[in-house]
Amino acid sequence: RCGVSDLSSQSFRSHGAPFNSSLLPSAGRSVYSSPAVIIHAGYISVEIPQDDNAQETDCHVDNADGNNNNNNRRKTVCPGAGEHPLQYNYTFWYSRRTPSRPASSLSYEQNIRQIGTVASVEQFWRFYSHLVRPGDLSGHSDFHLFKEGIKPMWEDESNRSGGKWIIRLRKGLASRFWENIILAMLGEQFMVGEEICGAVVSIRFQEDILSIWNRTSNDQTTTSRIRDTLRRVLNLPANTIMEYKTHNDSLRDNSSFRNTKISV
Amino acid sequence: MSTSRQLSESRAIPTKTVLINDTTQLPHDYCTTPGGTLFSTTPGGTRIIYDRKFLLDRRNSPIAQTPPAHLPVIPGVTSLNVLTENQKNEANNHVNNHGGKPTTGDDAQFEMDI
Repeated sequence: RCGVSDLSSQSFRSHGAPFNSSLLPSAGRSVYSSPAVIIHAGYISVEIPQDDNAQETDCHVDNADGNNNNNNRRKTVCPGAGEHPLQYNYTFWYSRRTPSRPASSLSYEQNIRQIGTVASVEQFWRFYSHLVRPGDLSGHSDFHLFKEGIKPMWEDESNRSGGKWIIRLRKGLASRFWENIILAMLGEQFMVGEEICGAVVSIRFQEDILSIWNRTSNDQTTTSRIRDTLRRVLNLPANTIMEYKTHNDSLRDNSSFRNTKISV
Repeated sequence: MSTSRQLSESRAIPTKTVLINDTTQLPHDYCTTPGGTLFSTTPGGTRIIYDRKFLLDRRNSPIAQTPPAHLPVIPGVTSLNVLTENQKNEANNHVNNHGGKPTTGDDAQFEMDI
């Protein structure tokens, strides 16, 4: 039992970096109205009771924090002793299909497989360092990194009202951009509450596509903020075309990347 | 009582104004808190936030090097050897650079046509 308690109600002390506690509440949407402290996590020390068996047993994490961390599932993976916890657990998935075979929902679900779930920065690197970089994948393949409990499928409960931003990349860029987008996601740079579901890198014939999925497609504040964060963390050129597509639209035309809404 | 008194000059705080014409000219750390994010508040409450540099620095810790337990074997996808960053000839692979240079230099990636 790793005994990690409700992360969202603990206050974290930061060493070394300025501890900014005098913040004005942001006006407007109640989702974002609770002011809180910036955690300069480069200097965090979080007291987690030591437990050598932390890795493989059920985590003693209560999801009663109201924050819907981890989609109300019991976390199955915990940060190990001395590791840096992530705000959410994430699961790596891999999928591949032969392009000639059209994908149905059932066959898609059978074609994706979980690789592993991570709860800490170190666990993330452990998996990531043992995965081929997306630019080196062959064929019609995808890596997905989604919050634990959310399947990278349009039909998942968490994705039903959602959508995704996509960025098309010419060949050669996928590995670097994938790394940057997932580091931003794991590091909570998007600042949209619970809205982020996961990220996908899709290796295709002549281009590669980066996607980031969020829960609520018609929440413009959220989708705008995600778009702006993407521009910043990926250092996108100013005229980069970004496209948004709701998962409902994808279900309707049975396509991930066609018929998107263009945003410049 | 001392009769000699030196009055110091008062001067305005020296400032420098830089005109920019476009948001792309903003410095990359504009409005960021060190080790934090672009935002002055944390919407949604207390969160665990890591910046990119911090995450990259954890990569070489010993805990992060061992293969994960139960790593599925998928040829061409998973590997029992640690895949190092510099295997590819991708442009601007800055993970190699973060050893010596400050990573704010990373953000000054050249713009690529995508």
